[in-house]
Amino acid sequence: MPTGFGWDFRTQYQKNQWEAIEYRGRKYKDALYEKLTDNIARITLNRPERRNAFSDGLFNDTLAGFHEANDDPDVRVVILRGAGTSFGSGHELSSPTQEESPPINPALNPTGVDYYGLERRRCGKHEDVMNFPKIAIAQVHGYCIGASEIIAQMCDFVIAAEDAQFGVRGFGRFTFGIANWPGFWPAESQKAWGGHLMGEISGKASAERGLITKAVPGDQLEAEVMKWAQMICKMPPQALFFSKEWLNGITDITGMGTAWRQHYAEHLMLQYVHFRPEEVSMYKVRRDKGLKGFITQRAVEATPGKES
Amino acid sequence: MGWKNIKYEVKDNIGWITLNRPQKLNAINDAMSRELDEVLNQAEMDLEAKVLVFKGAGRAFSSGQDMSGVGTSEFLHPDPWSRVTSKELLEGERRRQRRWEYIFNMAKPTIAQVHGYCLGAGLNLAMVCDITIASEDATFGDLVTRMGILPTMPLWPWVVGMKKTREMLFTGRYFGAKEAESIGMVNKVVPVSKLDEEVLRWAQGIARLHSDGLAYAKDAINGVMECRGVGAAFRFTTDIQMAGLQRPAKAEDLAFYELRDKKGLRAALEARDAPFKNFP
Repeated sequence: MPTGFGWDFRTQYQKNQWEAIEYRGRKYKDALYEKLTDNIARITLNRPERRNAFSDGLFNDTLAGFHEANDDPDVRVVILRGAGTSFGSGHELSSPTQEESPPINPALNPTGVDYYGLERRRCGKHEDVMNFPKIAIAQVHGYCIGASEIIAQMCDFVIAAEDAQFGVRGFGRFTFGIANWPGFWPAESQKAWGGHLMGEISGKASAERGLITKAVPGDQLEAEVMKWAQMICKMPPQALFFSKEWLNGITDITGMGTAWRQHYAEHLMLQYVHFRPEEVSMYKVRRDKGLKGFITQRAVEATPGKES
Repeated sequence: MGWKNIKYEVKDNIGWITLNRPQKLNAINDAMSRELDEVLNQAEMDLEAKVLVFKGAGRAFSSGQDMSGVGTSEFLHPDPWSRVTSKELLEGERRRQRRWEYIFNMAKPTIAQVHGYCLGAGLNLAMVCDITIASEDATFGDLVTRMGILPTMPLWPWVVGMKKTREMLFTGRYFGAKEAESIGMVNKVVPVSKLDEEVLRWAQGIARLHSDGLAYAKDAINGVMECRGVGAAFRFTTDIQMAGLQRPAKAEDLAFYELRDKKGLRAALEARDAPFKNFP
């Protein structure tokens, strides 16, 4: 099915996109891959000057890293972290129009079918992390916003600095924007639900709500993550693989697959949103004031009270 | 009747079911699980018992499956690498799973009164109860993953959420009563000396309600849980357990059963936990 975006059926619908992303002979740039020990691999999101916003290049290097870790029989744990001041600021909103990582620019005026296909492919990269057959740990500091928060949540463990900042800003309204549905899954409680309805919350508050595994002071973050990674390395890897597949299966039974589709649909619905005069439309403000102007205006108009 | 490993008594509309192998920390073996089935069969029919309380005699609620290998061929998972036919494996797995699912769905409210160890199958029992009240000395954990056996209780993600489930099962670690309460595993934690009194108070409160109303209320809640996939999760757990039990053995796997038979249970348990001494 021609999509108008140059993606063929295989790349849109294959199960794991990382399987098609080659790591052999790769020159990692936007994300770096390294082995810390025989059993522990680490992927570092490496666009610090953009707070590790996800561009196509960053996604490809990240998924290539997961591919490499998958193929290395010694690797049992993958640590995912961000270089510089933050884990990640979400999708790269200033990517070139043809890139698939940021929200599609309405100027392209894609068909609904094309757009849904794109969303499936775009969000499928998040699902790939969830379905990764080995254990993944997100090491979160600084901002962890939007898509970066989803990527972190797809890891089995999220260990964060207490002052890390989780949240979803969306690109037109503040608190809801694109509802980060898959992120609701990790915890089943009113506290967690409320935590997600708030604009942004700290690592400490996220841990208290059960949205992440643990929060520690920033200077202890790396050591804490290594401790957990080393503990995981002592577990029988096959038993962990089956246990993870089991939990992911239960998540599917509870409707995760539908939630992903809901997530794609949310993006489409947002594509067709008509902004009221008092609301911030990213595209309009970005056109008039540039990306920085938009972010400044959004912050001024809609910053909610920050949580603890 | 004539049960040895379980005590059952009804008083003031409360049915007390006591795991009664205190010298073995109420480790559950075949004899106890069979008696438990009979007791539950009677308790379910018993109109005098409007609420059931599970508790443990002696120092612990239950240390889990009896792993001694003596009188455990039904209740304990077979050695992952023993030559058991798939049909036997499946039957055994289903029998174990359906017992938990049956208790979960019993048409009267159940309370787990937990003190001391509450591990493995003991924790499964506490988790399928509607309410869990623990004393401050309680220690929880499902350590099977450390032995290379898969977890068996699909309610985990519903009870404590996905992140905590992964944390507890992927590390197989122990956790205390306070932490159990904070993650939603336990309804309330009280000092050891107050546990009996607290549980009695909760049970008396429930026993004042109309028993048909209680049955409907529980069925409504469990109906919702069924819609959310609990039934399918029990079945899926059985099947993936089968795959896990038949996987090829690798050098990194701890040969728990072999070690137990050669050096004794204590040595095998120590070998299981030794690598994790310095971890949370």
